[in-house]
Amino acid sequence: MSALELIDIRKRYGTVETLKGIDLSLASGEFLVLLGSSGCGKSTLLNIIAGLAEATEGDVRIGDRSVTGVHPKDRDIAMVFQSYALYPNMSVARNIGFGLEMRKVPAAERAEAVQKTAKILQIENLLERKPSELSGGQRQRVAIGRALVRDPQIFLFDEPLSNLDAKLRMEMRTELKRLHLMLGTTIVYVTHDQIEAMTLATRIAVMRDGQIEQLATPDEIYNRPATRYVASFVGSPPMNMLEATVADGIAHIDGSLSSLALPDDIKEKAGQARDVVIGIRPESLSLAATGDMAFGIDAMVEVVELTGPELVVTSTIGNQRLTASLPPKSKVTAGTAQRFAIDAGALHIFDKATGKRL
Amino acid sequence: MERRSLTATIFVYAAALLLAAVILAPVVWLFIMSISSTTDLITKPLRWWPETIDLSRYGVLLSSVANSAGQAFVASLFNSLEVAGMATAAALLVAVPSAWAVSRTPAIGWSLYAVIATYMLPPVALAVPLYMALSALGLLNNVFGLALVYLTILAPFTTWLMKSGFDSIPREIESAATVDGARLDQILRLITLPLAAPVMATAALFAFLLAWDEFFYALLFTSDQRAKTLTVAIADLAGGRVSDYGLIATAGVLAALPPLIIGLFMQRALISGLTNGGVKG
Repeated sequence: MSALELIDIRKRYGTVETLKGIDLSLASGEFLVLLGSSGCGKSTLLNIIAGLAEATEGDVRIGDRSVTGVHPKDRDIAMVFQSYALYPNMSVARNIGFGLEMRKVPAAERAEAVQKTAKILQIENLLERKPSELSGGQRQRVAIGRALVRDPQIFLFDEPLSNLDAKLRMEMRTELKRLHLMLGTTIVYVTHDQIEAMTLATRIAVMRDGQIEQLATPDEIYNRPATRYVASFVGSPPMNMLEATVADGIAHIDGSLSSLALPDDIKEKAGQARDVVIGIRPESLSLAATGDMAFGIDAMVEVVELTGPELVVTSTIGNQRLTASLPPKSKVTAGTAQRFAIDAGALHIFDKATGKRL
Repeated sequence: MERRSLTATIFVYAAALLLAAVILAPVVWLFIMSISSTTDLITKPLRWWPETIDLSRYGVLLSSVANSAGQAFVASLFNSLEVAGMATAAALLVAVPSAWAVSRTPAIGWSLYAVIATYMLPPVALAVPLYMALSALGLLNNVFGLALVYLTILAPFTTWLMKSGFDSIPREIESAATVDGARLDQILRLITLPLAAPVMATAALFAFLLAWDEFFYALLFTSDQRAKTLTVAIADLAGGRVSDYGLIATAGVLAALPPLIIGLFMQRALISGLTNGGVKG
């Protein structure tokens, strides 16, 4: 049984189509992350699942029941908002219990549920406070508690960590992962942060212009991106994209004299002659000695930055840029020519015209 | 606090004192006039502090002897309370739902601007149509009729104020309550209105003051003790052959008291309403 099913969801505002046919099926216990830059329609999609907005076309099914036209409160969902959206005039306990209160759950039962939830989130000592007396992280916990206490079929998260500072964000991320593992809940989570997506998700839907660009596990998204967009969106520093022209199995990097002999499997797919984009993750590059005939490419080193755990080397090939993440103690000098060896299995070749993976 | 030179400090205090003096001087003079004897008020050169403190005028204005100036004054005081109170309550009743609707539906925001545009008309322009309408309804010289007229002045203003109050309450809070299963009336009653309370208090006070101080329409639409308001009654005191300036001043002091008392009671709500116009999430 699928916990959530979206069938050809479309949303139009006047003549502008923000969602262009979303199909998606989510098994119980999955953690789905909707990943995309702002304006890609991910929050609209979440609001449609929640029932805060209605789709222009298509059907939303929760637990094999169509919920199109059903009020949010009857959809068996709970939602955590970006701004926490706590009720400032109520105590933490009442905030958490509000959903139960509205559903006419008896006070004693409600108090017990609130206690239990507070214990899971380690906020038992905050129950009597008002939201204004809490820190950002604590407010976030209360907001999660408000969703948790109702034990709904699906949890919806709308960029819940984006208002927190970097350190707290990491803590809460781990906390969310822990909750998901502990409670086995089904979650749909919207974010523009690729690290959140990679770490939390069991599956990621990368969205762009109202469509799902790729729906796959984090591993697949990272190692086998379906399009150039997905490849460049996920990963930090982002994947190198070298424009090249393939002729007879050899890719000539545009704007330079460098060329790469393509591995056999890719050679076949690339065919005889076409314009391609070669994607290389910065961490699949390593230093090679000059004249080393291993699979690699020559570049001119421009900037060397030590971030601590790694050395980020930015260099140029003709007029194109190549970034490499190297071990911190690598010997690289800015302003010199350097040969980089490439892990042959880590080449991603995209068609330049369509952006699709070959 | 940042470092400040002595001259700057002196300057700041001097400026503050000057401002206070400018604002308070008329009020203080009003009070002094109300307790001065008539002789003290008309001597030349002017006596700044009365020889003997004369509180008799307060007695005159608050007396309940039939057909006295006091009876007329007290009646007008109650008329003013009734008219301003009713108009304010009605204005809030109209403003809260409409302001919420406009705040949550930006597409109909233009309608509020259209209403505000009527505000630009000088009161004189509306005097004749309003007079004819009240006369047709049989509401001339009637506290309800006057309250109704005031409602047309107060409602746009309170709606405007309440809208900015609602604007500052994040919509996500209401969305959260919707998901939590609250009905519209529950959302408003339990969440939105308590959060908007400071703005509501501010709107109520300003509306009350506006109605309390209104003179033009009150003069036109009322004719005797049944509906005359304070402002008109005070004008009547000045309209006789002999004007007792002290008496007018006393009436002024008494007329200022009710709004002052209300303001003091609502002080806390008022300050937060004036300063942040609502709530931080």
